[in-house]
Amino acid sequence: MTVNKAAKSTETQQGHIAQGGRSWRSVLLIYRREMIDQLRDRRTLFTIAILPILLYPLLGMVLLQISQFKRESPISVCVLGRDHLDVPTPLFEGDGFAEGLDEGGGRIELVHYDWGTIKLGRDVREETTTWIQDGRFDVVLVIPPEFLDHSARTTQDVANLQLYYDVTSDESRVARGRIISLLNQWQSRWVRGDLAETGIEESVLNPFRLDEVDVAPQQSKSAAFWSKMLPFIMLVWALTGAFYPAIDLVAGEKERGTLETLLCSPASRAEIVWGKLCAVTTASIATAVLNCCSMLVTSSLIFRQISLGSGAAIGSPPLVPMLWLLIALIPLSFLFSAVALAAAALAKSSKEGQYYLMPLMMVTLPLVLIPMLPGIELSAGTSLIPVTGMFLLVRSLVEGDYLVAALHVPMVLGVTALCLWLAMNWAKRQFEDEAVLFGSQEPFDLRLWLTRAWKRRGAVPSRSVSYFCGSVILVALFFAKLSGGEMPEDGYGFAKMVLYPQLTFILAPSLAFAILCSRKPLRALKIRGVSFRTLAVSLSLGVLFHPTYLMLGELVSTLYPVSEQAVEAMKPIAEQISQLPWGLVIVLIAVTPAICEELAFRGLIFSGLERNGQHWGAIIITALLFGASHGVLQQSICATVMGLVLGWVAFRTRSVLPGMLFHFANNAMSASLERLANGALPGVELLFTRNETTLHYQTWWVVLSIGLSLLAFWFLGRTHRAEESDVERREAGVVVTSVDNDQERSESLAITEG
Amino acid sequence: MIEVTNLSKVYPDSSRGDFLAVDGVSFQVRAGEIFGLLGANGAGKTTVLRILSTVLTPSSGHAAIAGHDVVTQPELVRRNIGFVSNNTAIYDRMTALEMVQHFGQLHGMSGVKVRDRCDELFDQLRMQDFRDVLGANMSTGMQQKVSIARALVHDPPVLIFDEATLGLDVLVARNLLTIIRDLRTAGKCLIFSTHIMSEVERLCDRIAIMHQGRILDTGTLSELKQRHAEEDFEELFFSLLSEHERGEVKARQSMGASG
Repeated sequence: MTVNKAAKSTETQQGHIAQGGRSWRSVLLIYRREMIDQLRDRRTLFTIAILPILLYPLLGMVLLQISQFKRESPISVCVLGRDHLDVPTPLFEGDGFAEGLDEGGGRIELVHYDWGTIKLGRDVREETTTWIQDGRFDVVLVIPPEFLDHSARTTQDVANLQLYYDVTSDESRVARGRIISLLNQWQSRWVRGDLAETGIEESVLNPFRLDEVDVAPQQSKSAAFWSKMLPFIMLVWALTGAFYPAIDLVAGEKERGTLETLLCSPASRAEIVWGKLCAVTTASIATAVLNCCSMLVTSSLIFRQISLGSGAAIGSPPLVPMLWLLIALIPLSFLFSAVALAAAALAKSSKEGQYYLMPLMMVTLPLVLIPMLPGIELSAGTSLIPVTGMFLLVRSLVEGDYLVAALHVPMVLGVTALCLWLAMNWAKRQFEDEAVLFGSQEPFDLRLWLTRAWKRRGAVPSRSVSYFCGSVILVALFFAKLSGGEMPEDGYGFAKMVLYPQLTFILAPSLAFAILCSRKPLRALKIRGVSFRTLAVSLSLGVLFHPTYLMLGELVSTLYPVSEQAVEAMKPIAEQISQLPWGLVIVLIAVTPAICEELAFRGLIFSGLERNGQHWGAIIITALLFGASHGVLQQSICATVMGLVLGWVAFRTRSVLPGMLFHFANNAMSASLERLANGALPGVELLFTRNETTLHYQTWWVVLSIGLSLLAFWFLGRTHRAEESDVERREAGVVVTSVDNDQERSESLAITEG
Repeated sequence: MIEVTNLSKVYPDSSRGDFLAVDGVSFQVRAGEIFGLLGANGAGKTTVLRILSTVLTPSSGHAAIAGHDVVTQPELVRRNIGFVSNNTAIYDRMTALEMVQHFGQLHGMSGVKVRDRCDELFDQLRMQDFRDVLGANMSTGMQQKVSIARALVHDPPVLIFDEATLGLDVLVARNLLTIIRDLRTAGKCLIFSTHIMSEVERLCDRIAIMHQGRILDTGTLSELKQRHAEEDFEELFFSLLSEHERGEVKARQSMGASG
């Protein structure tokens, strides 16, 4: 009976749920469970709550003790040769140093010997060295016999006082500092005495005095320190606080086998991700806030206790602006949590998950560190960098620059929202990916893996080969850049500078990988004949797209201005280019990169990445790699955009050749712009205009070229469809027998979808 | 209640090539019936049942539970099933009661209803004496009971047990089989997968023998024995398997000859 009733009630719920879509009730239930789970976990509780509460007071205690030690521990000083001290201003009074020479601190244990009373079996230097190394004295002051000679004191090195100390011993360094300041005092007292004797006024020594006045109000002075320090600490802790719970909530659940229990409950994958994400975010925020609070309380107490010189400038932070930091922490914690959750989903066990913390930190830390660099301020350029932008926004809020902050709020929020959305989707995709959730773990055997990889290599390289090739290229270029750096002196040197990296670090690895890791190297490099019309359109597209590309370059250099140093450094190269014969410049700047870079990025790397129909992923990733292969940031951004366009062309035409022509034409235009404008060709002024130093296309041509480019893009997109139906017709008649037909299959699938 | 037609599942594996774990499997299970899925480890039982529980998606074919398709209406399917497998562990840091209540609430049951249902289940499964013990401190038998209570809390019409007796001692396993029989009496539709033949013989109304992702034969125990003229069930199982292997080898040879 009960069975029937329950069945009926589930029936009615079903209708309700089917209409309702995502139920926040499930999200809330999962959130609540995860929170209870985390609070019952001793490890999590320790890192989130106990550690921060204890860490800073403990650190503070140690700091206090060190400073106490520095102040109060007595230093032991030995003075050797007191009998050589026959001077008008006394260094000693009785058994101690003269009154007023020592500026305070701990006690000084002073032992002094006359030169004669101590039997020096050995050299003075050797003897004192053993005294210090044995720990008998912290420092030894030696007054040589020559010091007695008034005229030798200032002229001969043998008459110098000698202070022996040990830089590796803290006590010895502290003692040295005190003795030096004591000797300085003594010296100036001596000088003053001499001046008084000769009747010269003391003002000769100090003809004027200087007062420094800091106009910054006390509040913003402490804000300046805290606005740099606090966000940094908070973000590092927000990431750490997100990471460990994320591992426990995903990898840990996989390991304990409870993830499948959750997956076959009525909660949808999205609800599970949301529930877990909220729990991780809560942990992240709690960790960050607790750490900051604990640090603030402790540090304000400590700074009051010990004035560390700068102590007055630090003070306690202004509390109200700190609220801005709390508000900014929420989206950033969400972002970190989503990234941590997705990364943790990749791991099969908590142990594997721990390994992902380092890479994640390496990616995030620079974003947190950039704002700490001197001179980095909130601007259009920096506001576009994720995390950094938010960080700088908070800083300007804390410092009270509300106008600057308000101006950049939309951009910072937009970038943060975009990153958040991407990270969320990544996390969600991890939870929908069966291979990620149920992938098995196999022991790794290098030899077995290599033989398998060789035997089972496909017609095109695998995704991992593509990634590996991309990394090899980037790393090789990076080291080449580090080791090189000498400016070429002539045309030959310039040619070498361009050709060497292109051929050795870009072309050679790609060819090697194509031959070693695929059965059909030509296909792996995407070398495939296309119609003459497509080639012609691609070539002209390079010319037509150039004005747009130039505008992009200008936009980028206004957003992220090139430093004057870099401009200066580029000048000799530009001069050399202008002196070389035009044909050679075209070969070096247009032909070579078009062949090498296209074969690498749109050839080998692209063909591996676009397996299983993931064309857009391939376009984006190759564009990013292409961008990264250009050393300077401004160039990288432009190259990334260009990479997207070239990737799209490679995808549409399914060949590397059109992209090569496009790339060639574009670079050729860049290289010969100056020559064209300066040349004696008729009608040049119709096409170009010059303002100040830079050369621009005339507006009419910019507008027209954009229109024509769009037309060319449309043509390339259309060719693709026409050629695909050709392939379809051909494939329909052929029974596929090859084992490596995954490419064909995915392509024909794409056709039926299209 | 359960309809499976031509179900296949391919695991993509870049190092070994694609692996066909389930290959054209079809069967039906009615209410009030225990359907046994028998096969060696790696036969594809778990994959089939994971597809039925919507944790995995099929590569091709269809599966429906209580009229809901596993691909298009996964949420409705999950509301109608209780899934117990040795991969569905219980939470270490939750007590038995909390665990079952949590899943009841996830099924949309109200607080009062969950409490009543838990009381009923805990009595029925004799779990009252460890209701406040944390999962980490339970014995395997206790944990299994919690898993079953978790699967039954929303009183689903379909129950799936995947190798549920694995790792249990004889007493607990016997107890579990009794519970399953009681569920059949209550009119539930049950699937029970195992590699232990005696369990199938004693428990199941109908049996499917799986090997390398395929169902070699389906029927009641007596039907199978009759069809293969073999009284001993273990012998029957092995002769079916070796027959299949011979067929495979032949097929491969003929492929090789023509190719």
